[in-house]
Amino acid sequence: MTTTHVETPAVIVADYFGQAIDELEGWKARFATELAAARARGPVTTDVLDALVAPYALRTFDALALPVYGSGFIAALDSLSDARSHLAWWQGADRGKLVLAAQSVNKEAIDYSELEWYRVPHQTGEAHVAGPYVDYLCSDEYTITIASPVFLDDEFVGVAGLDLLIDQVERDLTPKLAPHGADISIVNGVGRVLLSTSPHRETGDTVRGAELDALTRTECPGMALAVLAG
Amino acid sequence: MSTIAGPGHTPPIADVRHNEAMSTGRTSHRAGRPARLLSAVFQPIGDEGRAALVERRISEAITGGVLHAGERLPSEHDLAQAFGVAPATVREGLLALRTRGLVVTRRGRGGGSFVADSADPTAFTQAALRTTTRVTLRDAATHYLAITRACVELAARRADPSEVELIRARIHRAHGGDLRSWRRIVDDAVIELAALSQSARLTREQMRLQAELSPFFALVDREPAEQQRRLDALDAILDAVTAADADTAGHLVADAVAHDVSWLVDYRARLEAQ
Repeated sequence: MTTTHVETPAVIVADYFGQAIDELEGWKARFATELAAARARGPVTTDVLDALVAPYALRTFDALALPVYGSGFIAALDSLSDARSHLAWWQGADRGKLVLAAQSVNKEAIDYSELEWYRVPHQTGEAHVAGPYVDYLCSDEYTITIASPVFLDDEFVGVAGLDLLIDQVERDLTPKLAPHGADISIVNGVGRVLLSTSPHRETGDTVRGAELDALTRTECPGMALAVLAG
Repeated sequence: MSTIAGPGHTPPIADVRHNEAMSTGRTSHRAGRPARLLSAVFQPIGDEGRAALVERRISEAITGGVLHAGERLPSEHDLAQAFGVAPATVREGLLALRTRGLVVTRRGRGGGSFVADSADPTAFTQAALRTTTRVTLRDAATHYLAITRACVELAARRADPSEVELIRARIHRAHGGDLRSWRRIVDDAVIELAALSQSARLTREQMRLQAELSPFFALVDREPAEQQRRLDALDAILDAVTAADADTAGHLVADAVAHDVSWLVDYRARLEAQ
């Protein structure tokens, strides 16, 4: 007996972003083992971390049927021996290593503790689809970040993550959702529109109040996203 | 280039001249294309070498107070990697910075390149303010206001109150600290608020303008009463954004920028009188 996979909009969205979560969950376990081994050998510096993360981050670009824009690991604050904060991150068409001026020149700690892609996985212990938001740290674009926390025993050591640009997500998902209705929108936890099949709903706007009450809401399983249908 | 003339900058007037020269062509009219936009396409890209770009990046960071007096610069190798240029290019840029007295090189153990001890961002900014005309200063402020106001008005429409409160908590923690960390937190807060507009383009423009004008706002904020004033203004703007009151938020931004400009214009007059 076969079960039919009902392709509701909420399932389409959950499958789409779920791939990213699965990929991160997949590599972070092996990465954690390697990080533990590196710690046993000596102090873990930013260079040591970069070398450990690089193969996983670079593989992620091609492993998925997703337009991955950036990929890597963000260290927990104060977890490395030579820097308070560090992003082991590769991004863009050339998949170049992200070099932040504040890190390479001023050696100032970048406090990402309050940013959604770091804060939520840290607090909940679970993977999170963060955004959409203007990523002024890495991509400088309107971005979705999927992030999964990494623990060594009970110690939080950082988040494995990948970035998708909303521009590309719109290209991917709008045609898939369009057959399901002329007013299907994906919203995040605060009701912000990620994209919509309706040309009258603007990405970035927040749906609330009476407008929200008039729509049918379906949660996307496994992530803080929902589908609104009008 | 439309940056306020700092020490060693090419006057922005050069761009205007090229623009005029290019927009006299007639073919574009016949083709039904906007002549001014077309002329912008063929503006000079600039033949400035990469070493000169390295020099400018670092000199702007020093005169703008991003790099501090006595601070060690990364090694030539690290700088080359960060800028994505050859080490020889970095060496050439550093040589120019040494000639200008902005950077010193020490040999031997613990050696390397350092920001000159005499590099005082306040003095650099005062010098830049003295040589900037009022019309250029006010025009820069008009540009800054247009972008900031647009960001804040959009943020008022789109931000969730919880996002605004994170910004508020940060600036209140920073208040009362030293000027340098206060300015860094304010710059970050303004950029975070701009990002709540959900517009990548506006946020990028805000970041560029914030970097350009922050040294001037830092002159204002040397007075504790002005720091308090800025904190109060930011609080009021955040209140309006939380209340989804775009009009009030926009007016408050306009008032705040007008205050900074008039303070700077007065201060400029005092510098000139000295």
